[in-house]
Amino acid sequence: MTTDTATLFFALLAVLAEVLVVSALVLALGARWSEPMARAWARVRAEVAPQATGLAAAVAAVCTAGSLYLSEGAHFTPCRLCMLQRFAMYPLVVLLGVAAVTGWDHIRPAAAALATVGALTSVAHLLIERYPSLESSTSCDPDNPCSLIWVERFGYVTIPAMALSGFLLILTLLAIAGPVDDPVGRSIPAQEAP
Amino acid sequence: MTSAAKSTGKGSVIWIAGVVLVVLIGVVAVVAARGSNKDAKEKVDTKQTAPVTISGADAPLPALPEPGTGADPAVGLTIPTADGTSFDGEKVSIGPDGTAKVIIFAAHWCPHCQRELPLIAEHLKASPMPDDVDLLTVSTAVVKERGNYPPSSWFEEIGWTAPVLADSDTGETAAAFGLPGFPYFVAVDADGKVVARTSGEISMDQFDQLVDAARTGEVPAA
Repeated sequence: MTTDTATLFFALLAVLAEVLVVSALVLALGARWSEPMARAWARVRAEVAPQATGLAAAVAAVCTAGSLYLSEGAHFTPCRLCMLQRFAMYPLVVLLGVAAVTGWDHIRPAAAALATVGALTSVAHLLIERYPSLESSTSCDPDNPCSLIWVERFGYVTIPAMALSGFLLILTLLAIAGPVDDPVGRSIPAQEAP
Repeated sequence: MTSAAKSTGKGSVIWIAGVVLVVLIGVVAVVAARGSNKDAKEKVDTKQTAPVTISGADAPLPALPEPGTGADPAVGLTIPTADGTSFDGEKVSIGPDGTAKVIIFAAHWCPHCQRELPLIAEHLKASPMPDDVDLLTVSTAVVKERGNYPPSSWFEEIGWTAPVLADSDTGETAAAFGLPGFPYFVAVDADGKVVARTSGEISMDQFDQLVDAARTGEVPAA
């Protein structure tokens, strides 16, 4: 697989993530005013909620694999802000994976907090890409400035845009999974409790 | 069928749908990238870096200090001579040759260079360089993976008419002139001595001041 193919693949995945996030947002907001949309949103939640944590772990795993490919396979050197986004994304694979497998839902708020920090860092990185003066007033560091755009697809999908799409999809899935009612987790399923 | 079994069945459908969607996107990416790779291969047929020979008593020039940290120690020193070639393989020499000059160092991937050079290209259409001052360019820090590649196409796209020296793949010309960042400007008088240096985006008024400094040999006020 060439670098071009891989970056196009990741960009298309990012677009898919954005479509899913926007669709969920439209349904969630529309549910407040429209009865058919409320029914559709309730159905989506009922179907997806039991799988949401596992799906979020899968999204984090795909993002992590993509990030590792870009640095180790394509040899795109990660900048400072790329590293901060990695610090947020990589642990999500473990946190959400453990939450999905064991049912320890009380991990979810910590994962959501981490994903929020990651998403905010992605936004900062995107702003620096579009307005390089935010990083350094007028000149480029010859080594590896954060303003450097390694990949740009469809006119806007750069590496931090891909990361932002991943973080937002994870947050959306965690929102669909619903609030954590039991602060000590669900290691013992409710129906099996004495 | 129990509700638990139903739920597991629906859960499997969601996972299978997800995997199928990702595989489909992978197939689309492979097919679409195949076509664009062919185009890219046909496009890059010139050398983007080339060997240079650096010489000169004062080479390399000291690095440009940070703004506000004192006078530039390179002012008054004779610039090195860089003998190399353009992207097309034609000889380009930058050195003390009896003509005043402004030398611009640019990196194809640098967003500040991507903003600055088109502005200068446009400015030169209305206010061309004086006959007694040359404008020379060095394309340096070429890295294919960093985007906006190849630099030869970029210079063409922005309508850059000044001669461009393709720096070596290790950036010897940039190092010899004490480059601290991109874009980088060096104003040189007719005697081949540095009059002023600056790094980063500049306004067209500041560009004209550099040209004047090179022409007159007078160090501009800080």
